[in-house]
Amino acid sequence: MNLQTSMNILDKLTILSDAAKYDVACTSSGVDRKGTGKGMGNSVAPGICHSFSADGRCISLLKILFTNECIFNCAYCLNNCGTDVVRAAFTPEEICTLTMEFYRRNYIEGLFLSSGIMISPNYTMDLIYQTIYQLRNIHHFRGYIHVKSIPGADPLLIEKTGFLVDRMSINLELPTAEGLRRLAPCKSRNTILKPMRQIQNRITDNKQELMIYRETPPFVPAGQSTQMIIGATPENDFQIMSVAEGLYQKFQLKRVFYSAFVNVNGNSMLPALPGGPPLLREHRLYQADWLLRYYHFQVSELLSEDRPDFNIFLDPKCDWALRHLEYFPVEINQASYQTLLRVPGIGYKSAERIVKARKRNQLSFDDLKKIGVVLKRALYFITCSGKMMYRTKLEEDYICQNLMRDKTQLPRDIREGGYQQLSFFDKDMQSDFQLTDARILPPGQQIVTV
Amino acid sequence: MYVFVCENSIDGIFTGVYDAWASKYGHKNIRLTVCPPDTYTLFDEYITVSTDYERSGKVARTLLQRLGEETYAELCQAASALEESSKRKKYMDKADALYHTIVLALSLKDGSKVLNYLGDPFVNRVFELSRSTGNEAHHLLGFLRFQELENGLLFARIHPKNYVLPFLGEHFADRLPQENFIIYDKAHSQAALHPKGKGFFLTDASSLNEEMLNRFSPEELEYQKLWCRFFDSIAIEARINPKLQNQNIPIRFQKDVIEFTK
Repeated sequence: MNLQTSMNILDKLTILSDAAKYDVACTSSGVDRKGTGKGMGNSVAPGICHSFSADGRCISLLKILFTNECIFNCAYCLNNCGTDVVRAAFTPEEICTLTMEFYRRNYIEGLFLSSGIMISPNYTMDLIYQTIYQLRNIHHFRGYIHVKSIPGADPLLIEKTGFLVDRMSINLELPTAEGLRRLAPCKSRNTILKPMRQIQNRITDNKQELMIYRETPPFVPAGQSTQMIIGATPENDFQIMSVAEGLYQKFQLKRVFYSAFVNVNGNSMLPALPGGPPLLREHRLYQADWLLRYYHFQVSELLSEDRPDFNIFLDPKCDWALRHLEYFPVEINQASYQTLLRVPGIGYKSAERIVKARKRNQLSFDDLKKIGVVLKRALYFITCSGKMMYRTKLEEDYICQNLMRDKTQLPRDIREGGYQQLSFFDKDMQSDFQLTDARILPPGQQIVTV
Repeated sequence: MYVFVCENSIDGIFTGVYDAWASKYGHKNIRLTVCPPDTYTLFDEYITVSTDYERSGKVARTLLQRLGEETYAELCQAASALEESSKRKKYMDKADALYHTIVLALSLKDGSKVLNYLGDPFVNRVFELSRSTGNEAHHLLGFLRFQELENGLLFARIHPKNYVLPFLGEHFADRLPQENFIIYDKAHSQAALHPKGKGFFLTDASSLNEEMLNRFSPEELEYQKLWCRFFDSIAIEARINPKLQNQNIPIRFQKDVIEFTK
């Protein structure tokens, strides 16, 4: 192991932020906390993005590892114990200083602290706890803190940490237990789901305690989240979304994040991905994830065992609508909120505005446009006071052809990068998986309950 | 038509609202504007409103009482929005939109719901303006950067389109109660000043000594360097996407954000 002892803070920050960059959850949302006039910091529920890095992703939190030393050997991770990379570790004091000084200059909304596993899970988790304890109680920091809990750490340590942070997360890493066994042999479904269940139960208890006694310290008030790597193992979209749905329903997670796999250490057990990371697939999964959380959709409505993957050319909502033309057209001035949610081009905010605005005036297409409805998608599916916007046919092929002309169906980077992504998505992925001689699992496999 | 020409500020518009209402010319015969017209039309009568804090305060109190805090805040945001004038597109004057929205609100049983009625063109315009100010203020909560000067004071410079300074002052006074800070809105020549442990206040900043603002504390450049390094190393090479980056942090903000200027 290549552990440097005499390293300055700039080098450490370089190594330990570089090592943390594949963690996706950089949001600072879910908690409203006013300042107290003492110490430093507050928190606003919608979250605040402070910058956007060269890959276009939001930077909200100081996202770092405590250390990139690790005793685990997860195949997909650059920091696993077998790779030859420069290792570094912060001290709790260094992390506190960086956080406070960055925060007061308004670079960041708070801290996102994860870590490789140094010596043992408990040892590492305790270091994280010490750091957060100092930050909250010595520096009186009231900004946002997101901590990764370390798989295999003592439940007591997780509980103590949970009272200091806003969000906790444990990465599910791979959608199926089989994938985890193969690629991350030191982790198991058990060491991941057990603490997830523990945190969930503690959050529920805490909410009841808070109702009785307001001064109770809040436990993980912004809820927990998790992350799955997409495209490292052969699961289809149906399996991935079913796992996500299970996590939302059974573990009451706030968010599930999807991270397009990047082959960082050329491991032969993993697909090579010559076309780059599967970004379009990630994009479709996020779109579907929003449909689950905000639009009352169920996975079984979007995908099935016969149609296990998302349409490449159309977003999941358009795709659903085209297969269910019997529900359309919808009358804007009468349809229920739930019905409006299902119309392509109408977001949940627009749907809310429509329901409120139509109490006073009948809405016209012009009004809808001002409210924020994307008419080029919605016009095939709606009427205003009984009239459609143009003469259109309610016919799958006709609407599909017109929707495909809409450029926004594909994210711009993929559109302009040519269709390399798409062909990779179509064929190469299959052959990549054959290289790995992984068994394709039967679809619909449910996650185990603890 | 009676056209009330008022000053382009919250108080100017609220005074205009007061005068227009008190004139009893009938709401349909009244128009408010914040832009003195280039050409006066023959059959309209123009009335110049001189801003008066007592009258505007009366309007503010009534609105706060009858419409509630949330709706009142939205109306203030709309009044702070940039009045865009472009030859291609003729926008409804914000003062006029506000006046008629207020008239509608006070005629409703529950005035706090007025901004729901987006089918009304005046309400719609107020909603649009308020959203524009709200969005820019929210952007700047994140994109604003403080630099520490020699004397420990934190200083930030911004160039917003809308007048968002009061919203920023409130946010940062709550966030950094133990800091002395100045937020300087160069576009509007105004500054929000916050002395440690006290509330913030707004002041005219046209005579700000800019030279003093370039003398940083010894640590300042160190932390800027650390931050810029973090900013570079957190990006994933396989996903580099400058277009997405510029879409998310529009270029007009970038000149005041240190990691984009270094």
